[in-house]
Amino acid sequence: MAETKRKNKKQRSSGGGVSKRKGPRLPNAMLKELQIPKRYTESDDEDNNDSVNDLYEYEEGIAQEESRKNRRFDPVENFQYELPDQFEDENVSSDEEDGDDDDEDGRRGDNDEEEEEDDGRHSRLLQEITGLPTDAFDGKKKKNDVIISEAYSESEYNPSRDILDGDGRISIQDLLDPLHGKSDYSKLRKSMSRMEKKSMPIHAPLAKPDQERLDRKAAYDFMQKDVTKWEPSVKRNREAPTIYFDEDKDVGFSTVGAITAEFEPRTDFEKKIASLVNDHEVVEAHRKDGARLLELNKISVEDVRERQDQLAKMKSLLFRHEMKAKRVKKIKSKVYHRLLKKDRLKQAGKAIETDPEAAKEQAMKQEFKRAEERLTLKHKNSSKWAKRILKRGLDLQDEGTRAAINEQLNQHALLSRKANNMKESSSSEESSDEDDLDEASDGSDQNAAVKLLRKAKDKTTQVLEGDEELPASGVLSLPFMVRGLKRRKEAADEETKLALEEYESSLKELEDKNEPKTQGTNIFTGRRVFGDKKKQAPEPNKKKVTSDNYYGDSDSEGETDARETGISSREENNFSEREVHFDPNALREESEISHDSLFKSFDDIARDTNSKTSYEVSIFAADSRKKMNDSSVKGKKTKSANAKSATSLQITEPVVNKPDGEEIDEDSDTDSGGEMVDGILTTGTKSTYEIPSQEELIRRAFAGDDVEDDFEREKQDALNEEIPEPEKPILLPGWGQWTNIQKKRGPPSWMLEEHDNAKKKREEALKKRKDANLNHVIISEKRDKKAEKLHTPTLPYPFTSQEVFEQSIRMPIGPEFNPVTAVPALIRPEVVKRSGIIIKPIKFEEVNPHERAQDHKRGGVQKKKGGKSKDKPAKNTTV
Amino acid sequence: MVVKVEKITPKKSNPATTDEVISEEMDMIKKKYLRGEGADLKALKDKKLQGQLAVKEDLYGKSAAAAAKAEKWLMPSEGGYLEGDGIEKTWRIKQDAIASEVDILSSRKQFDIVLPDFGPYTLEFTPSGRYMAAAGRKGHIAIVDMQNMNAIKELQVRETVRDVVFLHNEQFFAAAQKKYPYIYSRDGTELHCLKEHGAVLKLQFLRNHFLLASINKFGQLRYQDVTTGQMVSNLRTGLGRTDVMQVNPFNGVLAVGHSGGTLSMWKPTSAAPLVKMLCHPGPVTALAFHPNGHLMATAGMERKIKIWDLRKFEVLQTLPGHCKALDFSQKGLLATATGSFVQVFGDLSGSQNYSRYMTHSVAKGYQVKKVAFRPYEDVLGIGHSMGWSSILIPGSGEPNFDSWVANPFETSKQRREKEVHSLLDKLPPETIMLDPTKIGSVRPTRKKEKPTKEEIEAEMEAAIEAAKNIPMKKKTKGRSKPSKIAKKKQEAVEKAKKPFLEQHMKKRKLTDETQLPKSLERFVRKKAVA
Repeated sequence: MAETKRKNKKQRSSGGGVSKRKGPRLPNAMLKELQIPKRYTESDDEDNNDSVNDLYEYEEGIAQEESRKNRRFDPVENFQYELPDQFEDENVSSDEEDGDDDDEDGRRGDNDEEEEEDDGRHSRLLQEITGLPTDAFDGKKKKNDVIISEAYSESEYNPSRDILDGDGRISIQDLLDPLHGKSDYSKLRKSMSRMEKKSMPIHAPLAKPDQERLDRKAAYDFMQKDVTKWEPSVKRNREAPTIYFDEDKDVGFSTVGAITAEFEPRTDFEKKIASLVNDHEVVEAHRKDGARLLELNKISVEDVRERQDQLAKMKSLLFRHEMKAKRVKKIKSKVYHRLLKKDRLKQAGKAIETDPEAAKEQAMKQEFKRAEERLTLKHKNSSKWAKRILKRGLDLQDEGTRAAINEQLNQHALLSRKANNMKESSSSEESSDEDDLDEASDGSDQNAAVKLLRKAKDKTTQVLEGDEELPASGVLSLPFMVRGLKRRKEAADEETKLALEEYESSLKELEDKNEPKTQGTNIFTGRRVFGDKKKQAPEPNKKKVTSDNYYGDSDSEGETDARETGISSREENNFSEREVHFDPNALREESEISHDSLFKSFDDIARDTNSKTSYEVSIFAADSRKKMNDSSVKGKKTKSANAKSATSLQITEPVVNKPDGEEIDEDSDTDSGGEMVDGILTTGTKSTYEIPSQEELIRRAFAGDDVEDDFEREKQDALNEEIPEPEKPILLPGWGQWTNIQKKRGPPSWMLEEHDNAKKKREEALKKRKDANLNHVIISEKRDKKAEKLHTPTLPYPFTSQEVFEQSIRMPIGPEFNPVTAVPALIRPEVVKRSGIIIKPIKFEEVNPHERAQDHKRGGVQKKKGGKSKDKPAKNTTV
Repeated sequence: MVVKVEKITPKKSNPATTDEVISEEMDMIKKKYLRGEGADLKALKDKKLQGQLAVKEDLYGKSAAAAAKAEKWLMPSEGGYLEGDGIEKTWRIKQDAIASEVDILSSRKQFDIVLPDFGPYTLEFTPSGRYMAAAGRKGHIAIVDMQNMNAIKELQVRETVRDVVFLHNEQFFAAAQKKYPYIYSRDGTELHCLKEHGAVLKLQFLRNHFLLASINKFGQLRYQDVTTGQMVSNLRTGLGRTDVMQVNPFNGVLAVGHSGGTLSMWKPTSAAPLVKMLCHPGPVTALAFHPNGHLMATAGMERKIKIWDLRKFEVLQTLPGHCKALDFSQKGLLATATGSFVQVFGDLSGSQNYSRYMTHSVAKGYQVKKVAFRPYEDVLGIGHSMGWSSILIPGSGEPNFDSWVANPFETSKQRREKEVHSLLDKLPPETIMLDPTKIGSVRPTRKKEKPTKEEIEAEMEAAIEAAKNIPMKKKTKGRSKPSKIAKKKQEAVEKAKKPFLEQHMKKRKLTDETQLPKSLERFVRKKAVA
């Protein structure tokens, strides 16, 4: 054995620098081959290493490359698993040192000399320095050695070698011997002997999962027992119809005094205040009559004076400022104010330039003003003053007033201008129109109408004179086309001439009229008309544009003509409301229907009184009532748009519009009347009640004879309707039959069977009916879909039988059907809880499990409510 | 002759047996308030449900007991009645005799008002009995405060007035006039003309539903909601002209008697009559409902008055006699009138066996048009061709009024409050049904119910079984090889399965389609058309 050990050591040392190397792990198969029984202990790791150790004892030689024999292999200096020479492991238990002492000595002898020498020198040096024995410094070295020999500390699983070998084994007897003669020795020995006698092999501990399972089971049993104590209280809560969570009604402080008494200063500030308030002196002073408080309230004379001075200064400053403001306010000079205003504006402008925010604000303000203006029309001569002046007549006024009025209008235009600017499409037109407007507003308002008429006249004459060249080529040059064109042109010329005449006549009329008429109204009409004119103005131009289209199909021509006439009539009637009816669109539509007649009619209309025009329009539009309605509606619209027009218009308006409205009303009336008549007719036809004839009367007198049969029949019908009779099996010719055979046999058996089944089913259904046994009654069993929502579609959850459910809902629980004392209990919810209350987890409390919750009103009480006692008397009344 | 008139008599008390008597009595009343038996809880398997129901029943019991107690002590008045002394018959007792016996206030309720000009009068009381509306056929309408006999309003509409009814309170009333019914306010202002109704013969107001029901010359039945003005329904009876119509106070069902002897019952939500019954071989002349809704009286031209049990639709009793007008009192007395003769039947024994109780004849030649008991009073109002009269019928009115139901001494504030309450409690028209206690119960199963999943599965199984068991014909040339037979059987099974599977797929598809709520459906990706 010693030999092997030696060998082992040698082998270890032979590695030189490789002294610490452990053997490689061998696979199990190899181990088997080597016939090394694998011992299983708790830790596989240790076991393996052990076996490896064993293995190394049996190993014969060293690998050739490692032995460096014959220098056949290149020396590899440093393997990966090699530790550096200077490596020192500190992690070594000191017990090993004792056991391995003799080993170390021997080992040291044949360990590598250099190192030994080194170490020896070093220790000697130390010895000399410290004066301690060498052994004291040898410790490290020894440790190192131990690590080299045994990688594991000694333990029951890793016994030291001597123990394994048997000679150094310690028995219990050995341990007991020294105790011989001591006090408890006999006792110990007895127990030892008993143990030896009874000694049984100790079972290996259970596998971990099994162990855990057992633990769990035990824990479960324990916990189950533990949890059962909750059962009664849980049961009680579950059975309780209502659970209350309104514990702790104690609100705490109810008075200010109580709250302040509890107050404790926390922040610095509060503490400071508290220290001042609770100052002993102050408190004392308060407690006495408070006279000493004044004493405490010391202020120096300088302070007071300073304060007074400051106050006086401020007062005087304020006063001066006030005076100044008063004076400025009193200044009546307009120039001054204007300058002031300008100044302010300038400042604002500056602000705008510099500050985008201000600019934005300004824009907003402007927008708002504009909106306001549009809303209120404040500057559109709607003020009392303006009205009065206009009523009197503008030309009677002096220059200043007129200017003021103009100014106002300008302001209105200015304020509401932005809207016009927005419509870019018509900007050019507008500009010209605005010129017109300016013209109109510049004092010559009264002539505006005349001017307009003249303009229109000029334009019509232009049209009349400006003969177009007839096209020399193309389709239009064909002779019949040319003829047609000529004809049309002539007609158009006639029209224009007519219109021209009318212009002139109306011009004259107007000039006559203008004299008596007040100027003010003219201004308004002028303005308003100009507004309209805006739309009309491009139209004469358009006419020229459309002149290419002039020779087109009759429709387009009619259209243009109609438009033309419309325009002419409008222009002619600029000052009356009549134009309202000739909305160009409406006219166009109508003209599509019958343009030829329409021309004339419109001419007539133009000349006729307004009421008549509308009438005729209605006639002409009779083809399509809808269109008529359209136009009339439009007319109405325009009317409403012009509702704010001048007084003269307002005078004419009713005259104009009334008939129209009436017309419409009549129309609608007649319509509805027709319907009503229809309705009456239908009702008349529906009900076929007649005065009973003689025969009927007689029959009724002797009615007793057949009413029962009638009723029987009726009932049968009703039943058939509700539960239809199955169809009789019919043989369709050509289906299910080839020859006469089928006919002779009758319908197939399955058909008959089906029929019989259906019949039986019907019989059963009839028997189930409520009126099955009542000959004189028919009870309808039709479903009422609307009433279905009043029933539950399915049985609600905890119920399993319909009967029980219906019995449970038989009692109404509302306050109308129950005494006041019973209602709260009947409608109490399952959980009573005030909002904001924190529901605490359930606390354990002793509950008698056999006691039934008697007080249903608060069976599951967590904490009983004091105020509940009012229900008590009601409870006591139960028999 | 002894006339025993018990009006308001305190309970007789016998100290020895009072406790027993009281407890018995209380039990009786309690039973009434329990509204039937509770479920048999012991038979329930579900312990939890059992517990819950036990709690509920207990509460019900307490409530009923409290109600019984309240009734016992808060409703002390008991109705009196006439009792014959020995062989004396109650119907021989004349009104004069009664008047001499009763107190002055009661005797004042006996009067005749003669208004000879405006034809037969029809009467209508408010449910509290405080106000009466009388309408003469020739256009005279009067609203009378019956407490102080003060005519609140009289108006002459100058056309035929066929009927008059109060709406929810005395503030409004509707009158069926020559062409249309009109609604007037208490002070006679015409509020509405209900043109849609046409020439109405009879009006009824459904108090809980706020519906004005009318039947017109053409036998069209119309329901109009008076709160919204909506025409709830328009039904054609198709049984001709009639002016016999009465609403069942229990369930709101409207009964109409027809000339063919039939009687039909209607609700606004179904076009067909709920019940149609043949009551008389001749035309039905009058109709009345008992306040509890279980009894109905009809009178036919063939000199018969029938009393029906509406729970079974069977005749309980047939009384002889012509009858032009019928009315049940609150206590269940039945007044009948023909010509100038008024007869009152009563079931004093409580066995629903009506016998003659009182008779009265108005002055000869007067034709009675309408009899109406005044609620909460022992008074019968009779409208006849020469005005109206009022007679005393002891035991007809309910002696205790519940101010929550109807208060004869209602102040205007109470009236206003009640109006609001009743509007809030207004019932939708579909709650009118034959048995309103069934509301809230499980919906009656449809006749043609869809088969359940199990049934479908069972059916499929059966079909598969059948397909498997089809006997195979023996065929030649290798067509009966086992493999062939197996294949054929397999095919047969597939074929049998197919319709069921298809149905299933269809259903699934449908459910897939309808799964999303409407608002989200537009987000569903459309399947690309392949």
